[in-house]
Amino acid sequence: MIVRLSISTLLLGTSLLCDVEIKGHLDLQAQAYLTHPEQKHPDNYTAMAQIELGYLKDDFEAIAKLSAQQDYYDLQSSSDHNDRSFLRLDELYAKQDFEDSQILAGKSIRFWGALEVDNIVDTFNPDDLRTDLFDTDKLGVWNASYTQYTDTGELSLIIKIDEQDQPMAAYPYVYYLFPEYVFYDKSLQLEKSRNRPSVFLKYSGSTDTEYALDYAFILENGYDSQRYFTSDGPLNGSPVTFKQHAYLVNKAMTYNTLVVGASLFKMEALYADVIDNKLISDFYHLGLGVEHTLTQVYEQADLGLIAEYYKYDTLQSHKYSDLDLFQIFQNDLFVGLRYSFNEGNDASIIGGAIVDLDYHEQSYYIEYEGRLAETFKLNLDYRYTEPSPDTLTAFHIMGRHQRLSLKLGYYF
Amino acid sequence: MKKLLLLGLYSLSLLATSNYEVAVKSDAAISGYEDASSQMHMTLINSNGQKRERLMKMIVLEKDGGDKSLMEFLSPADVKGTKFLNYEHVKKDDDQWLYLPALKRIKRIASKNKSGSFMGSEFAYEDLSSFNVDKYIYEGDAQVLEIDGKKMYMVQSKPLSKNSGYTKQIAWVDAESFLIHKMDYYDRKNELLKTAVYDDYKKISDVWRIGKISMKNHQNDKETILIWKEETIKNGLQEKDFHKRVLKK
Repeated sequence: MIVRLSISTLLLGTSLLCDVEIKGHLDLQAQAYLTHPEQKHPDNYTAMAQIELGYLKDDFEAIAKLSAQQDYYDLQSSSDHNDRSFLRLDELYAKQDFEDSQILAGKSIRFWGALEVDNIVDTFNPDDLRTDLFDTDKLGVWNASYTQYTDTGELSLIIKIDEQDQPMAAYPYVYYLFPEYVFYDKSLQLEKSRNRPSVFLKYSGSTDTEYALDYAFILENGYDSQRYFTSDGPLNGSPVTFKQHAYLVNKAMTYNTLVVGASLFKMEALYADVIDNKLISDFYHLGLGVEHTLTQVYEQADLGLIAEYYKYDTLQSHKYSDLDLFQIFQNDLFVGLRYSFNEGNDASIIGGAIVDLDYHEQSYYIEYEGRLAETFKLNLDYRYTEPSPDTLTAFHIMGRHQRLSLKLGYYF
Repeated sequence: MKKLLLLGLYSLSLLATSNYEVAVKSDAAISGYEDASSQMHMTLINSNGQKRERLMKMIVLEKDGGDKSLMEFLSPADVKGTKFLNYEHVKKDDDQWLYLPALKRIKRIASKNKSGSFMGSEFAYEDLSSFNVDKYIYEGDAQVLEIDGKKMYMVQSKPLSKNSGYTKQIAWVDAESFLIHKMDYYDRKNELLKTAVYDDYKKISDVWRIGKISMKNHQNDKETILIWKEETIKNGLQEKDFHKRVLKK
């Protein structure tokens, strides 16, 4: 009986394993900070890995995704240690599709947005602040959702049931956000329980008109994705601890893409009505963008011309301002180019400049991405940031910055 | 004598087949599959003969106003899971979306420029869209040729779309089956750009399906070979199988 049960279990397990799909990548990254604050690391070497297991059977899907990172300095003495190494469960969810609907439950990552440089409505998952500041590295969120599909769109009810701590790399990592004497305590401070649900209602669709439009509207009641920090002492150079706080909002968001010929017009916007918080004001954030593509500018290559503008403002003057909240895209203009070679390596070069129109900051970058020997991917980038000379912005605290970065990834 | 000449000319005009008629019959010969599901193997060959392989899974829904198709990339590994959804339209630009699995992002694509390269291959997006006579202008009669003992029609067409990369296309069509065997593409300077050779036609459930297209670019000496495998048709696919929701599935 036991033998028969074991054989049945083994067969079931083997059959399940046959339907499991595995994919992932291993990356090695080297970064040299040609200009950086004196006491911070002049370079960085990081190994990263991500593996995803997917089980798909008819209309049922289960996903598990793990990420790992090992920083070179975390293998060194404690003074060089910068707390960038981790093993992390990004996703673990199950999804069942029905004729006109879908349910999902578990830890997952979602994407909302239309713009290229900063997706201001992509607020569902917080970012992990232990990875490269210029990369998006989202933390999975425990949630459940029900989606009803219509002919041209979908209506989703999403309930987030856990607010995540947001880990951050430590000093002397070059992208540590605070001065050396500030210790960051990652345990999140909340107005209500950590498990107080945040409820999102999202409607999105596409029009079948001469100028096609993709649109999405989201309403939220719950914890905001914007966070603020408090200190346990005066900022006079003596050691202090910063704590991160989450507060409650009613929020309306939208993101849209309009297609007019070879141009895409994009808009993201949000308005947050903050619920009874003495420090945080109601605020709005707006992003407008246009992307025009010229095809076959040289042989098969395409050239994309991109321009985006961002505006953020708080609506009550006696509360935290954009500077207190480390808001980077508060009155910023981006102009950039994307050159796609359109050949076998899927290579492209993207570059541009972000100019802060209020605080006179500039950030320039150029990035190459392409495939090597079919299984490797190469990323090369150069970035230069000139911080505000006299205003205490996030870039001003971080200091003038110039870097070269090389990343080689093996994909399987 | 005059009567005989007139009779001869009359017979000739009866025998002549217009470019448009051949195109309509050619369209009919490959239509009626309702929907199709297949694996696509694409081999990119550069001017030095080096090869790169690409693998995709594709489903298509046949529709009068323009087909709907969903393509999923299976290799190379870094683009595995990327999906491309296309709603073709005859009288306006296609609706296109790209799903990027690493970001979980659906990106809208501007499809106005039809001449762009598909995945770095010698195929343009417009080469891979479904054949529809309403997309072209046909004038005059088709020439009749004999190639390897087979009677062929040589059919000339001009794309209606101003955004096409071509000024004209010349197709060699089998006079018996009305299947296309070869197609020459002329660029905007009216110079010969590419030649596509159609091979391995198979009859699946009484409908002709193409098995292989070799596209040779005469100007850069590169070639792309596209092979359809494990193709099935009339699978009962529906509109909902091409809803935007399938991108994230």
